[in-house]
Amino acid sequence: MSARRERPPRAGWQLLATAVKEQRSWVALGVTAGLFWTAAKVAVPTLAQLAIDQGIISRDDRALLEWSLAILAVGIVSAVCTGLRRFYAFAISYRAETDLRDRLFAHLQRLHFAFHDHAQTGQLMARAATDLLQVQSFLTLIPITIGNALTVVAVIVILFVSNAGLAALALVALPLINIVAKRFASNIHPVSLELQQQLAGVASVVEETVVGVRVVKGFGAEPIQEGKLRAWVDRVFDRAVLLGRMRASFMPLLDFLPAMGLVAVLWYGGHQVLSGHLSVGELVAFMTYILMLIAPLRMLGMIIAMAQRAVASATRIDEVLATHPAIVDRTDGQTLPAGHGELRFERVSFAYLPPEGGELSDAGMPVLDGLDLVVRPGEAVALVGATGSGKTTVARLIPRFYEVLGGRITIDGVSVQDLRLRELRRAVGIVFEDTFLFSDSIRNNIAFADPDAPQDAVEWAARRAGLHDFVAVLPDGYDTVVGEQGFALSGGQRQRVALARAILADPRILILDDATSSVDPTKEHEIREALAAVMKGRTTIVIAHRPATVALADRVVLLDHGRIVAEGTHTELLATSERYRALLAQQEEGEVLAR
Amino acid sequence: MMAWGSGAVRDEEKLSSTQARQVVRRSVRMLRPYRRQVVVALVVLLVYTLAMLAGPLMVRLGIDRGLRVHDGAVLNAAVIGYLVAAIVAVVLGRTQIRLITRVGESFLRDLRVRVFDHLQAMGMTFFDSQPAGRLVSRMTSDVDALQTLVQQGLVMFIQNALLFVATIIVLVVLSPVLAAVCLASMPVVVVASVRFRRDSNVAYLTVRDRVGQTLSTLQESLSGIRVVQAFAREESQNEVFVSHNRAQLDANLRAVRISARYFPVIELAGIGTMAIIVGVGGVLVHDNFITVGTVAAFALYLTNLFEPIQQLSQLFNTVQQAGAALKKLFDLIDIPSDLIERPGAVDLPPNGELVVDDVGFSYDGRSRVLGDVSLTVREGERLALVGPTGAGKSTLAKLMARMYDPAEGCITYGGVDLRDATFASLRHRIVVVPQEGFLFDGTILENVAIGRRGADEQEVRRALRLIGVEERFLALPEGLSTPVRERGSRLSAGERQLVSLARAALANPAVLVLDEATSSLDPGTEAAVERAMATLMQGRTVVVIAHRLSTAERADRVAVVDHGELVEEGTHDQLLVERGRYAALFASWAGEHHGHVPSDSVVSS
Repeated sequence: MSARRERPPRAGWQLLATAVKEQRSWVALGVTAGLFWTAAKVAVPTLAQLAIDQGIISRDDRALLEWSLAILAVGIVSAVCTGLRRFYAFAISYRAETDLRDRLFAHLQRLHFAFHDHAQTGQLMARAATDLLQVQSFLTLIPITIGNALTVVAVIVILFVSNAGLAALALVALPLINIVAKRFASNIHPVSLELQQQLAGVASVVEETVVGVRVVKGFGAEPIQEGKLRAWVDRVFDRAVLLGRMRASFMPLLDFLPAMGLVAVLWYGGHQVLSGHLSVGELVAFMTYILMLIAPLRMLGMIIAMAQRAVASATRIDEVLATHPAIVDRTDGQTLPAGHGELRFERVSFAYLPPEGGELSDAGMPVLDGLDLVVRPGEAVALVGATGSGKTTVARLIPRFYEVLGGRITIDGVSVQDLRLRELRRAVGIVFEDTFLFSDSIRNNIAFADPDAPQDAVEWAARRAGLHDFVAVLPDGYDTVVGEQGFALSGGQRQRVALARAILADPRILILDDATSSVDPTKEHEIREALAAVMKGRTTIVIAHRPATVALADRVVLLDHGRIVAEGTHTELLATSERYRALLAQQEEGEVLAR
Repeated sequence: MMAWGSGAVRDEEKLSSTQARQVVRRSVRMLRPYRRQVVVALVVLLVYTLAMLAGPLMVRLGIDRGLRVHDGAVLNAAVIGYLVAAIVAVVLGRTQIRLITRVGESFLRDLRVRVFDHLQAMGMTFFDSQPAGRLVSRMTSDVDALQTLVQQGLVMFIQNALLFVATIIVLVVLSPVLAAVCLASMPVVVVASVRFRRDSNVAYLTVRDRVGQTLSTLQESLSGIRVVQAFAREESQNEVFVSHNRAQLDANLRAVRISARYFPVIELAGIGTMAIIVGVGGVLVHDNFITVGTVAAFALYLTNLFEPIQQLSQLFNTVQQAGAALKKLFDLIDIPSDLIERPGAVDLPPNGELVVDDVGFSYDGRSRVLGDVSLTVREGERLALVGPTGAGKSTLAKLMARMYDPAEGCITYGGVDLRDATFASLRHRIVVVPQEGFLFDGTILENVAIGRRGADEQEVRRALRLIGVEERFLALPEGLSTPVRERGSRLSAGERQLVSLARAALANPAVLVLDEATSSLDPGTEAAVERAMATLMQGRTVVVIAHRLSTAERADRVAVVDHGELVEEGTHDQLLVERGRYAALFASWAGEHHGHVPSDSVVSS
């Protein structure tokens, strides 16, 4: 991800602005509630002052009662508005977060294979989790901050209007709160990031020790691991104590600075009362106003630091959203003509391109170089070759997971690039080497291509894949949930589910990409029968290592460095090609006796 | 801002009052080395609270004794008093945060090391019975929950609680009547706070679940993106995701509604109390029960009353979570280890026979994995263990290295029962090389050095040279200092295996227990691994769990294990002639791989 082109922070701001703009009616409501809240809040000390001066000091019980009730009334307004502004603030930010996550997900779904090859799942997850959380908490603060800023302005205006000299004296220390808070927030952030890293270090030592406990115990390496742990734990201690020290210098200041304002007011204002220029009520009101400024000023300082982080997060999210899907429908995308699945490679060349900004050295070597291959309708062709010979690449170019660099691939006469992507992918079924199953029922996994498929069709596909008998005896049958948290299937069973999934889609062309590699060799013959049944009468590309599987194909194509070096039936090649024999022998040497 | 359900505690995690008392008592015991700092911190905290309370009292003094009677000197004294109190508060405030953080972090450091040491001392049975994720989360999320408390909540929790109580005391002393009226709204606030805490806890639990669902849907889609695109199912995946995402939004909004109902109550109680202070206070002033200064002091104390309640109600979940975490950690420390060195253990002799004598074993104490196994591995002999999956051959190998203790019978080396041996000599004499080359975070050098404590670079290089792979690793960009990263994802499976073999070479044991890899490696490294294993086996007693035909063939002797019993024993050739289990296994392999060759012909050839 880091290799992808850097986006300017402006992109992050724009993303935030768009997200807020979509919620503008809610923002308006939130700001309005904030305004009323400010007005009510600001009125309280003035009302209290009037109550003290006109009620208590002048000993007027009626005025006292009226002003007290006025305070209560204002309190009700303030209470209702604080609830509303809180609700709106969060509603805005959560909605914006949800929308952004929807967008992010939809976009990731559309991004091409090459993007996903280079992106780490963890990084993308962080975009959708921590980065969005960062954005959300910042957005929450926007309406609240507007309210707070208004409060600060209103209070300052009131103080200066009622007594400019006293106001100036009282407020001189207060901007420091803002400055200190801002500095604190930006100083503490890198240290807490460091602490997070040290904690991750602790976690990784614990994890490797638990997961690798056999090795640790086997070599009596406990003291070594303990040494590693202690080193991390000491670093955690260091950072955590430093954080504590930073808090220690900051938190008490938050109370101290307003206290200084109060002291100044008490001294200067007190003497003004003595000389008759100020009332006691005004003095108390002044103090209450100063207390009112503390919370908003703290937050205004924090929000600047938070804004910086949120923009950084938004920029990272934008980076993903700004990556264009490389493989999309052409504007004049064609429909697939009727046919029986004739597949042609015409002088196809291909290389895996490095991710944008990545180093050319890891990629860019041609994988296929002017490959010509014709697979007749209904024919089964086996692709064999050493690692890196390009056989998997051939398979992955057919459904246009990657774009060819030269030449073209046609299905029943139409170039795959001219076909509508959806139709192309529906016409080509692929069973991957690493069978991925969703955490869902076996039924839904098989019916992945067509969730509305009737149970009959699902069972039919399962039967052809040699899976039905096994599923039938499970307590929950086809409703058995599989996948990461579900029922643990063996490698062979997983392969069969994947096979049934491809069968149900009823593709014109079937690709089996090393589909039997994870099957226990002693069990392979069972799945082999299923494969033979599926391949019958269907254009099929089989990538395989084991001789018995290769023998299922009508024709074998031996690839080396992206070129065809030998072609013929299994028996023919065994007789004529030394390379072919060597390759198969190598495979057998590595095979296992029993598990 | 509360993060996603971070403060939520599940019902089953909440501690009963007895449990809470026990947790507190044990924590106090663990704090014993720091008791002096704890005492100092408490004293400082107390003085700090008093200093915080002094301010409004000084205002009261200034108004009543200064302004009302026109005495400038008293006013000045009050101002100086306030100033001093503020300075004391800032200095002590700083000291106490430092002290409490330091003590808390020291406690956590001790706890981390202690839990980890205990984990490492546990026997394999323990690790088999506990999912790795759960053990890791004890040391991560549970200890981190405590860390959060120490860093962000502990000081505030103690301060707020103390400030709240002290404020009430001061108010009652100043004017019992006004204090009583002032606190009239308190029951409402407390009830609202308790309800808020409870409801928001439930709401945040839901949020946490929904967030988990959204993220796992995302994770699954990313892992399965190739399947999704291959079947052109992007749209339906989107629909599923959007519905989870919506559910998360709903849960969040529900949580917000709960807090949007709670905060107005606190706000109204605060301002309402202000109205009461002014109104009722005014009447009391008129009747000369109290002074104007007292009314002012009450107004200034108001923030001390309502802010702590709000803070405490939010912190309570964090505290509860920390308590639950502590209990889990203490429970873990309390599990006794089943694999310990006996007092008076002796060193294993440098060489000898490895004798398995009538051994039986079960992982769970019920179903027997091994029974009545007797076997002698002579010095310098190479024995292959063969058998189907689950037959018990790996278990037997593990018992031979005392990863577990046998339930019946005993295993001796050079005449000494493994249970009577010191761990140091045991791990030095008998070394297990597991099937998959497991790598730790760190460099290649560090990974090999695991093999023997205190080994230096020269020794590591010698070990690599011995198995013939020194050049190969030196050729890496950073040589032996190349970091392996993420469990060695940069290295191929074969290279990881080589590192693992080098470790064993460094350990230089008398007995080597090898678990052969089942998956095939790329042909290039395959050969290197074969060579390394061959060199490593030379001159040692070797027990190898054989998955390959060639390995069994090359061994001095083959032992066939099936259903937890030793069913056959002899050389490869002998066993083939006997046409027993070994011959059958051999035939099934051969039959699978040559398809048309009748199995008989292989056996007789």
